[in-house]
Amino acid sequence: MTVAVPPAGGGGLPGRSSGSGLADVIDTILDKGLVIDAYVRVSLVGIEILTIDVRVVVASVDTYLRFAEAVNRLDLASQKQGLPDLLSSAPQSVARGKTKGMVQGVLEAAGEKLQDMRESYADEPVPRARRRRREDD
Amino acid sequence: MTGSTRQSGAGDQAEAPPRNTACYVYGILPEDVEISEDAVGVGDPPRAVTIVRHGEIAALISDVDVDRPLGRAQDLVAHEQLLDEAAAEVPVLPLRFGAVMTTPEAVVEELLAPHHDSFAAALKQIEGRTQFVLKARYAEQPVLVEVLTENAEARQLRERIRQLPEEVTRNERIRLGELITQLIAAKREADTQAVVGRFEPFTAGAVVRDPSHERDAAHVAFLVEDDRQADFERAVGELRSEWGDRVEVRLLGPMAPYDFVTT
Repeated sequence: MTVAVPPAGGGGLPGRSSGSGLADVIDTILDKGLVIDAYVRVSLVGIEILTIDVRVVVASVDTYLRFAEAVNRLDLASQKQGLPDLLSSAPQSVARGKTKGMVQGVLEAAGEKLQDMRESYADEPVPRARRRRREDD
Repeated sequence: MTGSTRQSGAGDQAEAPPRNTACYVYGILPEDVEISEDAVGVGDPPRAVTIVRHGEIAALISDVDVDRPLGRAQDLVAHEQLLDEAAAEVPVLPLRFGAVMTTPEAVVEELLAPHHDSFAAALKQIEGRTQFVLKARYAEQPVLVEVLTENAEARQLRERIRQLPEEVTRNERIRLGELITQLIAAKREADTQAVVGRFEPFTAGAVVRDPSHERDAAHVAFLVEDDRQADFERAVGELRSEWGDRVEVRLLGPMAPYDFVTT
């Protein structure tokens, strides 16, 4: 087992957390972290894991057709500039678009649904682990 | 939807009698950690989280019912929330979701004791550092306008598709979508490299993750030292205002260093 970083010391400032949706949680804990099978043989217990596979296959025909549809519906006339003008403009200057368009990724949709599920648990007491040498609240 | 069932290793050793409760393992921490009594973990109802110790290290564990599958939303959130809350205070080596052993004694004897020195060394390495994940996603309309602006073939395909009935343009639509995917991938590559380079002065490590969405601009895990955290967050804020409406930037963390521990 290794930690893939150079060694160093450091203080212990408490961090602050920002909310994350369940899709983010899935990205992190289902295929990252230490794999117990690598350390334990005898006392490993088989337990069924239901994983919600909301990961998008980024390059798929469905994705392609959604992009094409979005481009097709793109109302360039409502943009501040027409296409010929756009040709000479910097990318940063174009189109203040809605962040959510007609193309709604599968992941995003699933993530939102799961986000709702998560929110219903957000009020539960937050578990905390602390160092013994620290004073608890 | 995928499912997997792991079988326990067929032991040559005498095994405990069959029982319905086993021991879920969340992660490994220094020995001098205490967990509040109301901390709960996976399962329905969630069970209390406790600590087993060996030498300088410890494991966060809870009872788990082996008759029921794990993986409901609240199980996943409980696993990550417990580890991330812990990681905000102490070094934590997170285990991948779904680690289950027979008993707390087995956790000590088969996980902590044989690997004590390497776990202890890894905990020292991550002391004072936590992980953040930067998720940046192109806003749909601006990126599509960019792509059309920059690519003549995409513009031509769009015109053709708009002039013909939908039922005869399937191939063109697929080609257009594929082209857009490729052009966005090239933007992602460039923006990801720019992000990694930009944060290099404030971070102790970076791992580029696979994109989680077709409009991802960057998906990168950073290891950040506690005393650089303010600088790092300020830099994220600057990136966010530079990108403006073009890219939505989210910062997740602090969290346990999932992307920086390797088995």
